[in-house]
Amino acid sequence: MKAASIQTDREGHKPPTKDLYSEYRKRKKILFKSQATVFGVITLLALWSLWGTGFNPLSIVTGTYDMFVFMFTDLFPPDFSAIGSLIGPALDTLYMSYVGMVISVLFSLVLGVLAADFLTPHPIIAAISKGITAFLRSVPAVVWAIILVAGIGLGPLTGTIAIGLSGIGILGKAYAEVLNSMDRDQIEGVRATGASWLQVMGQAVWPQFKAGFVSWSLYKLDMNIREAAILGLVGAGGLGYYLQSSISLFQYKTAAMAILMIFALILLVEFVTAKLRERIL
Amino acid sequence: MGETIVEVKQLNKTYPDGTVALKNINIKAYKGEFIVIIGPSGAGKSTFLRSINRLSEPTGGEILFMGKDIVKAGKRDLRKIRRNIGMIFQGFNLVKRLPTVRNVLHGKLGYMSSVKGAFGLFDQKDVEEALDILKRVGLEDQAFKRADELSGGQQQRVAIARAINQTPQLILADEPIASLDPNSSRVVMDYLQKACREEGFTTFVNLHQVDFAKEYADRIIGIKDGEVFFDGTASQLTDETIEALYSKEKTKKQEAVV
Amino acid sequence: MMKNNRHMEKKKVQNTIFTVLAFAFFIFSMLQLDIVPERLMRSFERLTYIFGNMFPPKLNEPIDVFGAAIESIQVAILGTIIGILVSFFLAVFAAKNLTPFKPLSFAIKSFAGFVRAVPALIWALLFIVAVGLGPTPGVLALAINSIGMLVKVYAEALEEIDMGVVEALESAGASKVQVILQGVIPSMLSAFIAWSLFRLDVNIRYSAILGVVGAGGIGWELVKAAQMSRYDEALMVTIVIFLMVMSAEVISEFMKKRANAATAQALK
Ligand SMILES: Nc1ncnc2c1ncn2[C@@H]1O[C@H](COP(=O)(O)OP(=O)(O)O)[C@@H](O)[C@H]1O
Ligand SMILES: [Mg+2]
Repeated sequence: MKAASIQTDREGHKPPTKDLYSEYRKRKKILFKSQATVFGVITLLALWSLWGTGFNPLSIVTGTYDMFVFMFTDLFPPDFSAIGSLIGPALDTLYMSYVGMVISVLFSLVLGVLAADFLTPHPIIAAISKGITAFLRSVPAVVWAIILVAGIGLGPLTGTIAIGLSGIGILGKAYAEVLNSMDRDQIEGVRATGASWLQVMGQAVWPQFKAGFVSWSLYKLDMNIREAAILGLVGAGGLGYYLQSSISLFQYKTAAMAILMIFALILLVEFVTAKLRERIL
Repeated sequence: MGETIVEVKQLNKTYPDGTVALKNINIKAYKGEFIVIIGPSGAGKSTFLRSINRLSEPTGGEILFMGKDIVKAGKRDLRKIRRNIGMIFQGFNLVKRLPTVRNVLHGKLGYMSSVKGAFGLFDQKDVEEALDILKRVGLEDQAFKRADELSGGQQQRVAIARAINQTPQLILADEPIASLDPNSSRVVMDYLQKACREEGFTTFVNLHQVDFAKEYADRIIGIKDGEVFFDGTASQLTDETIEALYSKEKTKKQEAVV
Repeated sequence: MMKNNRHMEKKKVQNTIFTVLAFAFFIFSMLQLDIVPERLMRSFERLTYIFGNMFPPKLNEPIDVFGAAIESIQVAILGTIIGILVSFFLAVFAAKNLTPFKPLSFAIKSFAGFVRAVPALIWALLFIVAVGLGPTPGVLALAINSIGMLVKVYAEALEEIDMGVVEALESAGASKVQVILQGVIPSMLSAFIAWSLFRLDVNIRYSAILGVVGAGGIGWELVKAAQMSRYDEALMVTIVIFLMVMSAEVISEFMKKRANAATAQALK
């Protein structure tokens, strides 16, 4: 038994080691070629970028050093007396994120349903809906904010709309994916009982959609806080605006406080959404 | 008896959490011995093997390997000692996405300069040797497949090949067949035994199958509660001893004289 | 069963309350932001006017805009490469299973967490103050922002590798560097490639807007066009940005496939 098992294993064609070695060389060469190509392309891209931007690799070191100096001499310690005047902008940031989220949720629901394979009234409508979401997803919120600032002026309304628009890009796609991954049989089952469209949505679609809907929407709220905080940098209200103006007035310690506030707001909202997610699901 | 390869003296191991895993172990192993270690789970078999190449740091005692104390070895010396000790694991521990032959080549890392080894710059001689060893474990056809495309038994044979490629004096195999089916288990044990016979290295194998132990071992060591409970040949291992070894109650040691 | 039903009831009531609260908070926020119907109407009028002026989109200085777009991409490439190199180095010390010293792992992870929590554009703003205007602060801001994320995901990928492999190589006498290059990296390579490409994608998005604060690239062209009320040009820049971001997504998807195919070929 023992000997037999070894024998069966050693039976059959056995190429000499020399042949195996040349095979090894051949494969090593293929691998080496593709690795060399990858590294070559990366190196070329890096060199091209260094040349194009005039970036001096040494500034990785000097820049980090300058940053440290700037942080510890100018930013630190933050001016805590500025908290009072920061509460208003912080709340604005929060409201912008929230309203922005609601706007994107509402539009994304419509676009998501229109884009989902089995809920769409027509494939062409689905394609259009997907196109709109893809476009909105690929244009950063800041871009919208810049255009809107020019159009309707500075302030939180601009930021809110910008956040809402770019949110549609993300949520519209997410909702459509959640809808597409649902269990069709269940929906067909309810449909077969002669339920109306609304009943199908309520009885079959919603229960399966709920979890994805809630987590994606809350995730978007998390993201919006970051987004809203930076939109201010282009004049769309909230903490970012405050940060931008204190930096241009060289009030770095106030700016540091604004950054701390952004930080705190991000953590706070993340904490709350995590709790909500737990409670609802 | 031939030359002494390992001599374990008064080996102790207490884990940081207070678990006493080994108590005053004394074992001498000679050149070419195929030693199977058996004992209930949690007895300290793995800890014993892993202490020998210091994957687990002993807390007391000496381990003389070819006359040098492993326990006292510095980082550099430890690397040199380790390359002379092959280890085989229950989970094979191959680099899954690398080809089989490269896994075998890893056995040579301890002999190469750090940089050459790190970039996998193996000489033609190394590669031919590795391919040769693969042939000896019957896996030449699998030489260029990803390691994780092989069956469990084949993977373990690759691990054996990797160990052989270290040209070690000693092989430590910790439950090498515990995750294999009976047929592959036998094939793997055959190759392991054959390798030891041909190369003349000393082998410690942890097993939980007593029948396999009796079939393959030149010498069996039973470990219970971190102590050597039995040390003798397969024929000296009686059914009563086996029963006592695996029983829950504390029993008096019944060491056989070698 | 009874209890389960009661629980369901409770959950239903709770969720209704949540919905009502969510709606109330929505209205409240709108009022706080002064988003009221008449203001919306006025803005809407303005927007239709601007929208009308956007078409057809055109470029007055196409060379500048394309040059700026290329600069954005270059900033993204440099930021990504620096980010990847530094992050991998740090991640080896941050991964709990590989770090020589536990507190070091904790320190690096906290540092990455802090860096990650500050948005890229704010980093750019700070770097501009620290090192001056131009692409350099942009590269550094993207690099540091990448480090915040990549250290975390690389460390997680490293923590997921099979430690048995590390033990096997160590017990064969391999040195630390050998263990990492021969055992650790091959084990996490696909995660490493996927995350690195993902980050390139993210960085191209960011690089398009860095110019907004003066850190080089196409963002500045947009600000210029918008400030000078050249809405047709603003739309064109937007389209260029859109194309940039889209193609980044497509290219990184393609490269991921290429990388997998290349290794598959060598291992056939
Ligand atoms: N890393 C560890 N930390 C703490 N205790 C351990 C550790 N590894 C093993 N032990 C304990 O040491 C004893 C011996 O374990 P082990 O050597 O794995 O036994 P065996 O291999 O014979 O099953 C057991 O009680 C086990 O729980
Ligand atoms: Mg064990």
